[in-house]
Amino acid sequence: MSEQNSSQKLLEVKDLHVSFFTPAGEVKAVGGISYDLNYGEVMGVVGESGSGKSVEAYSIIGLLQSPGKVIGGSITFEGQDVLSFSKAEMTAFRGNKVAMIFQNPMTCLNPVYTIGNQLVEALRAHDKNISSKDAEKRAMEMMEMVGINNVEKRMKQYPHEFSGGMRQRVMIAMGLICHPQLLIADEPTTALDVTIQAQILELMKDLQKKTKMGIIFITHNLGVVADICDKVSVMYAGKMVEQGPVDDIFYAPAHPYTEGLLRSMPRVDAESYERLIPIEGTPVDMLNPPEGCPFAPRCEKCMKICLKKMPPYVEVGENHRSACWLRVQERINKEEA
Amino acid sequence: MADNKKIKRCPVSLQPDIEALLAEGGLSDADFAPATKQEQEDFIQERASVSYWKDAWRRLRKNVVAMVALGVIIFLILFAFVGPLLVPYGYDQFNKGAENLHPFHYALEDQVRLEEEIAARTETEVLDEETLMAQAEAEKGEPLTSVEKAIIRAQVKASSQSSQSAETVDENALRKELGIKKKLFGYSRAELEQKAAGESVFPHVFGTDMYGRDILVRVMYGARVSMAVGFFAALLVLVIGAIYGSVSGYCGGRVDAVMQRIVELIYSVPEMLVVLLIATALKPILTEYVNSGSGGPLKSFVTILGPNLISMFIAFGMLYWVTMSRIIRGQVLQLKQQEYVTAAKALGASGGRIIRRHLLPNCIGQIVVTTCLQIPSAIFLESFLSYLGVGVSAPLPSLGSMATDALSGMYTYTYRLIVPSVVLSVMILSFNLFGDGLRDALDPKLKK
Amino acid sequence: MGKYFAKRLGMAVVTIFLVTCVTFLLMNAVPGSPWLSEKTPSEATLAALNAKYGLDKPVIVQLFMYLKNLLHGDFGVSLKMQRNREVLSIILEMFPVSAKVGAIALCWAVLVGVPLGCLAAFKRGKLTDSILRVVCTLGISMPSFVVASVLLVVFAGGALKLFPTIFDASQGWRSYVLPCFSLGFYPMCYTARQTRSAMLDSLNQEYIKTARAKGLKNGKIIFKHALRNALIPVITYLGPQVAFTLCGGFVVESVFSIPGLGRYFVQSIQNRDYPVIMGTTIFLATFIILMNVVVDILYKVADPRISLTKGGD
Repeated sequence: MSEQNSSQKLLEVKDLHVSFFTPAGEVKAVGGISYDLNYGEVMGVVGESGSGKSVEAYSIIGLLQSPGKVIGGSITFEGQDVLSFSKAEMTAFRGNKVAMIFQNPMTCLNPVYTIGNQLVEALRAHDKNISSKDAEKRAMEMMEMVGINNVEKRMKQYPHEFSGGMRQRVMIAMGLICHPQLLIADEPTTALDVTIQAQILELMKDLQKKTKMGIIFITHNLGVVADICDKVSVMYAGKMVEQGPVDDIFYAPAHPYTEGLLRSMPRVDAESYERLIPIEGTPVDMLNPPEGCPFAPRCEKCMKICLKKMPPYVEVGENHRSACWLRVQERINKEEA
Repeated sequence: MADNKKIKRCPVSLQPDIEALLAEGGLSDADFAPATKQEQEDFIQERASVSYWKDAWRRLRKNVVAMVALGVIIFLILFAFVGPLLVPYGYDQFNKGAENLHPFHYALEDQVRLEEEIAARTETEVLDEETLMAQAEAEKGEPLTSVEKAIIRAQVKASSQSSQSAETVDENALRKELGIKKKLFGYSRAELEQKAAGESVFPHVFGTDMYGRDILVRVMYGARVSMAVGFFAALLVLVIGAIYGSVSGYCGGRVDAVMQRIVELIYSVPEMLVVLLIATALKPILTEYVNSGSGGPLKSFVTILGPNLISMFIAFGMLYWVTMSRIIRGQVLQLKQQEYVTAAKALGASGGRIIRRHLLPNCIGQIVVTTCLQIPSAIFLESFLSYLGVGVSAPLPSLGSMATDALSGMYTYTYRLIVPSVVLSVMILSFNLFGDGLRDALDPKLKK
Repeated sequence: MGKYFAKRLGMAVVTIFLVTCVTFLLMNAVPGSPWLSEKTPSEATLAALNAKYGLDKPVIVQLFMYLKNLLHGDFGVSLKMQRNREVLSIILEMFPVSAKVGAIALCWAVLVGVPLGCLAAFKRGKLTDSILRVVCTLGISMPSFVVASVLLVVFAGGALKLFPTIFDASQGWRSYVLPCFSLGFYPMCYTARQTRSAMLDSLNQEYIKTARAKGLKNGKIIFKHALRNALIPVITYLGPQVAFTLCGGFVVESVFSIPGLGRYFVQSIQNRDYPVIMGTTIFLATFIILMNVVVDILYKVADPRISLTKGGD
């Protein structure tokens, strides 16, 4: 598209392809996705497990491990080509410009070091000159900021002395300690209790307002997305099937998969007779994905062409596009009329 | 795009561009007709589902080290079980005249040449007492006095001694001088003569020991004993461990607590020490039992196996099953929670049946690996005990006891030590490597 | 922590007690009176001897007598090897020699094994890893008598007379090289293997992903985050290795003629000197079991997850 507001763009991903070269063959975990993220924007990435949402995030921050490999496309962060970074550049980039927090706070903190040690370490990795006193002070500030009380004592404690929610707060503090422009949150609330989930989400919303950072929020829970995101990308089998502003996605979904997701989500405002409807079937085999739309075999509105050819993106609204033959059909009909 | 210069391979994106698609105009109304259920189902290209074992075998085949180890194991099995049929010597057969043979020989004509050469060189020096005396008598013309005789005897003795030592020192140098080369395999002189006469004589490939027993055959039998011990010990451990572990895990509660206490207790016993002790004590006990008057099937069983093997198996049965039982208990506990067990229970299946039909098949991978790795550790222990003289009893050879026997002459007859040691080490090594490979293949989680 | 310590120690005491009982009963079940081997004494002498050593009483009584004596440090007397010498004094004379050789062996095993294991883990799948893997598997596949005698033939006998063939403390370090190497080779390879798998396991943990995401340098990730966690399980393997080194000592001491407890034990087995066998077994078993307790406690101390939660597992 146009380059006119590239100054606002924090992150630009174009036609990204990631494959895993397993002994059984090449698994195309991400098959050509594109999106932009502006400064201060929160994007949700939604999809079921194995849809490639984490893989896509890992490739941004250079955490893909063999046998995974980016085999095509580009990732541009503040005008810099991330994929062309050297190892040292990548190390300096990670944690500094982009931070990441993970799904399971129980296993993400090193059990044998104190919380303070791990926080200070994150800071000092990118700021060699900071004195240990300053670093500690900063770590304590961060801990207060994420809502941990009694920080002096907490700093000296080990991860196992923290509850799951507290650990996730520590993880967030650790991610934000270097003031990154972008935070990638990989299912940060999935492993937590529902009440704790709400607290963490509240915290992240707060912090986002304060720091004006961009967030990529990966989840399989559409409810979480509605709460925090500006826009949403829906992924299925390594493809981005629909993308758009959060309201459009919720009120005018333009892809059968999104519709399915919405129907399978419990809602507070649902009528009593409405039932949750699960999506039938299982995802396609990523080892040899069929030509055509990957969702076709599970789709209620499947057409003959869906089985033959991958649908193109169709603009269905402002900044809202969907990859579905139904939308193509609608557009053809509209042009004819 | 300039950005793409570093990307090596960019597959064609499946996603077409809408404008191009519409411009092309290749779409018909038929394309937008709803697809049938059947078409939808056919769409998914089912990958031929690979069974657990097939998948494991595929991974194992790719593991070069494990496959080489498997090859060596198969070779060793053939070596130990088929080999003795091909070699015409028995493991306790004393080959007269073939004692202390090296695994090499010198050709018969070379040996003759060497002897002639030595004889030629020492001829002048080697003096015969009788002829010397006769000579002296002839010179003197009258019978010698006893003093003169003694002098001559002393001279002869001294010269023969010096020539003997010269001979032994010179033999190797002389061979080099004459260009006599070592030939493969050991043959005794008599065997070489037989061979020269046209008889076919089987060589002593690895030489013979001090009693003239063929080392190759003894090593074959030793390997056979080792492998049999390893296999049966592993089997014993498997049976006891599986029963104990699954009962403990399945019953749970107080039974489990007590059973685990016992496991913990056995765990902290220093195994090797106690096994050594048991082997030491049981040997005389069982020997006496065998020699005692009473009969019965148990006794004939003990007699066949020999007291030492029995005591070794008892030791294994008492101490080595704990690891196996722990693994199986862990698996059982994990699987017990799963729904199909609940379902089986709801259908009224008995406890034993649940263990047999549902629980065990699910932990088979780990069981196979642990059993496989038990074999080398049993072989290892057997050789240790045999080396200390409380393992396999003579005359049955064991690789460990062969190594002990070889210690006395280990600088002169190094091969006697090396051959059983190498066979033993290679055997344990290949079982270990194969077991490792098997673990990697059966448990993809670990491989990751 | 205190509770755990008490529990662990109680367990050890029970084990030692059981091992002692089993040892005594086994040795008692061995047919033939201990006096029969050489020249047959007269009936009267036999009875007198039996009475003197309490052999005329029931086995259970004998067992309790033996246990009581053990508690007073009385391990009985040697019947054959050094007639009438106190078993305890033999043990105390010979154990330090074995302990010294064993300690040196274990030290080098750990000091070399851990770095080798780390190296293999970093180079996973590469040639270095494969070579180390085969070498270390070979190391745990070669019984110590094979290692010891091969070393002896190659370095002490034959052309290279680098080291003495028979242990001689007056020769200083040269006497220790071969025995300590052969004794430590198995534990070294074992440690390397365990370190490798613990390291790989640790490198696969999520906190390593966190450390990478923080932008830490590779060295720091490996040495600070992965190694520290990997070393904790490696500690637990020290216990079995103490046992193994001591038992390996039986063989190695015999091969090198080291005047240690191991060689003496083997000789006492060959000579059927039952009081010595019993005393030595009980002594070594106690030592090994207590070392295991120490190692277990070290493990708990090294892991902050456990040391701070009281009595948890």
